[in-house]
Amino acid sequence: MRGFLTYGLLILLGLAAGIGLAVMQVKGGLSGGGIANGPWRSAENVGTAKAGLQTRAVVAVNGLLALPDSEATYFNAKVDSNGDALDGSCHYLVKGGAIPARWWSMTAYGQDGYLMANRTGYYSVSSAMLDAASQNDWAISVGPDNMVTPENMWIPTLAGEAFELTLRAYHPEAKLLAGRATVPLPSIEKQGCPS
Amino acid sequence: MMRRWIAPLAAGLGAVVLGYLGTMWFTPSLVMDRAWIGMSELAGVNHMLHAPLSNAGRRGIVRPSPDLAYSLCPFDLGNGPVLVHAEAVPDRYWSITVFDNVTNAVFTKSDRDTGGKNADVALVRSGQSVPAGIETVELPDDKGIALVRVLMHDRSEIAEIQPIRAKSFCKVFDK
Repeated sequence: MRGFLTYGLLILLGLAAGIGLAVMQVKGGLSGGGIANGPWRSAENVGTAKAGLQTRAVVAVNGLLALPDSEATYFNAKVDSNGDALDGSCHYLVKGGAIPARWWSMTAYGQDGYLMANRTGYYSVSSAMLDAASQNDWAISVGPDNMVTPENMWIPTLAGEAFELTLRAYHPEAKLLAGRATVPLPSIEKQGCPS
Repeated sequence: MMRRWIAPLAAGLGAVVLGYLGTMWFTPSLVMDRAWIGMSELAGVNHMLHAPLSNAGRRGIVRPSPDLAYSLCPFDLGNGPVLVHAEAVPDRYWSITVFDNVTNAVFTKSDRDTGGKNADVALVRSGQSVPAGIETVELPDDKGIALVRVLMHDRSEIAEIQPIRAKSFCKVFDK
């Protein structure tokens, strides 16, 4: 009888530990795995049957109905280029150049994965906002207030709230698909945090 | 003494693996089921909903793109094959994607593939037939979601896009 109880208890504990570990990994998004490129994380075979078990579960929870790689490549950042967590109270400059894709956009999300309320009603910036001369060298202001950049692109954040940035590259070129870990991606530079 | 614990500990470790893999395996279908039910309550089954633009107050699908106008069709092939039509919107990226009930994209076509023309796709189960001449995708289960995305260079473009995307639809084939 005691033997059955021991088995039952250890199996229950094991199941709980396994489920807990899986839930933690799924909720953590791609931050603990995937393809790393500076502060950005990406994954292969998103939205397809070829994706690994963990990628499929992570994408289902954190980005349901994502497009396959050939249509859009997704990069997500929870930290800046120094590895510090993105903080909606701080100001950041996101600096980059040409991204090998037909079109790209960058959006800020709250930690729950939804758009954050802000007074402008805008949540993203895109390559369509850049003139031809700026496509290869641009800066985006990210923070609770607009630190005006030459391109005048601003992604508002919510003071006091952690946030994430998602970069979407639509119709990515072959060199982006093949080089997600190495292709130059924007840096995320903290400028300061008002006290 | 120690040997007595080997088998129960092995069973416990096996349970860890089982719990982990089971959770990973079932998460996509559970999430998709929930999304399908939510969408079908809003759109109706085999009917396309041209959703309002994403904003901070709309919390249907996680991580929505504020740059896209979404039209969605929760389909059920239990009543026969379903036709999905995406109306071409000029001079921009648009696409139609069909997801099965475990979140896999089983079909994608964009403006680049159609050369700017409309896209039609017939969704069928094994053994179901549709009129000739329409591209057909066979689904592993009855239920899934078809999603039409239209890119906006600026969110104010929705006024211009709305009457065009309103021509996109999904419906059970006429018998």
